[in-house]
Amino acid sequence: MDPVSTATVSPSGLLLAGSVAALAASLWLLLPKASDTVASRRLGFLLGAVALVGFAATGRSLGCVGEDAVFLTVAGIAVISGLATIVTRSPVYSAIWFAMTLAGVSGVLLVLGAQFLGVATIVVYAGAILVMFLFVLMLAQPSGMAPYDRVSNEPMLAAAAGAVLLGLLTLSIGRLSAAEPPACCRMPSRAQALAAAAAPADGAAAKDDETTSLIAPATAGGDTGDANEVAHLGAELFGRHLFAVEVAGVLLLVALVGAIAVVSRGEATETDHRREGR
Amino acid sequence: MIPATMLTNALLVGAVLFCLGLVGILTRRNLIVMFLSAELMLQGVSVTLVAWSRYHGDWGGQVLVVFVLTVAACEAAVALVFVLQAFASTGRLDASAWQALREENLPRVIDHELPADDRVVPTWPHLSPAGVVPEGHDSRSLERDHV
Repeated sequence: MDPVSTATVSPSGLLLAGSVAALAASLWLLLPKASDTVASRRLGFLLGAVALVGFAATGRSLGCVGEDAVFLTVAGIAVISGLATIVTRSPVYSAIWFAMTLAGVSGVLLVLGAQFLGVATIVVYAGAILVMFLFVLMLAQPSGMAPYDRVSNEPMLAAAAGAVLLGLLTLSIGRLSAAEPPACCRMPSRAQALAAAAAPADGAAAKDDETTSLIAPATAGGDTGDANEVAHLGAELFGRHLFAVEVAGVLLLVALVGAIAVVSRGEATETDHRREGR
Repeated sequence: MIPATMLTNALLVGAVLFCLGLVGILTRRNLIVMFLSAELMLQGVSVTLVAWSRYHGDWGGQVLVVFVLTVAACEAAVALVFVLQAFASTGRLDASAWQALREENLPRVIDHELPADDRVVPTWPHLSPAGVVPEGHDSRSLERDHV
């Protein structure tokens, strides 16, 4: 049976198509345009909420949205703030909404069990990168609301393209959890090898093996959700990936030197003049 | 280890963030907002990588996200320097200020009928002065009624 044809005629397919249309219309209404009114923006917010609920319902009917309240909350924060990031006219508010997105993404990572990355997202992104954006905004913000913040390039085409891409991704994610994978995709993973080595598998993992997913999750040995998550990640990082860590260090140094070199443009400083005069 | 429903949940969130970032980088004209949209796409990819990593019980995805963070920091530093240089030479944070670099067969971006600045100027509360008014420059030149 062709999964695409079943999806187009089934109710979930219709729901997905409706969600895609609502999302495209919402994005088009919300993006900065010359013909913006308060009413059109309100309608855009309404359609955005409808699209969000529609996508959640689609995912649910495709069997891939759980009922974890904490996850749904942080995911909702991340998605709504992400939408606000790209439709807000003022770049400063955009950056602050992006900080909110980072908080939501950090929550998602924590729910997933990646404690180190959840904290690192807050520390590195919100603490360093976003503050750097805000510094640049303070240095480079022209006075008055800039006209180029109140228009956008091809809002209709871009909104349609983004919504259709999201619909396709949702469809493929739904099929990922439902469909029988082709033989070529059923690669034996390292986790599976570990699971095979550790023979006593617990009941939950065995049940997961029955409901066929693309690759069965590991049962023991490769578990990444233990209390020593940071220690294990560090061992992996500085063990198998030591060379990559060195390369990343060199990259950071090159970026630092390059940024300073571009800013200073090789102009002589006051100290240089004094030294030459001596 | 996370169950399959949690995996697909996280994949959906990653897909939504990626698509929102894509729309933002295609439409917005402010260079800073374009970079924020690119970071939004990176966040979506990070969520996807971590979800797969936790699903498979493999550390590779999380290690890759650590390097994504590193490269994002480098990229932001270098790119913001270029944004500042562009602002210093044109006085605008507008991507279309650089349309002289476009291909010859592409049309020129012309801003027809820019929307009127219809935002409401806030009325600040009036406070009675306390103490001596300091001498010096007119501080109103440094004030902004918006961000």
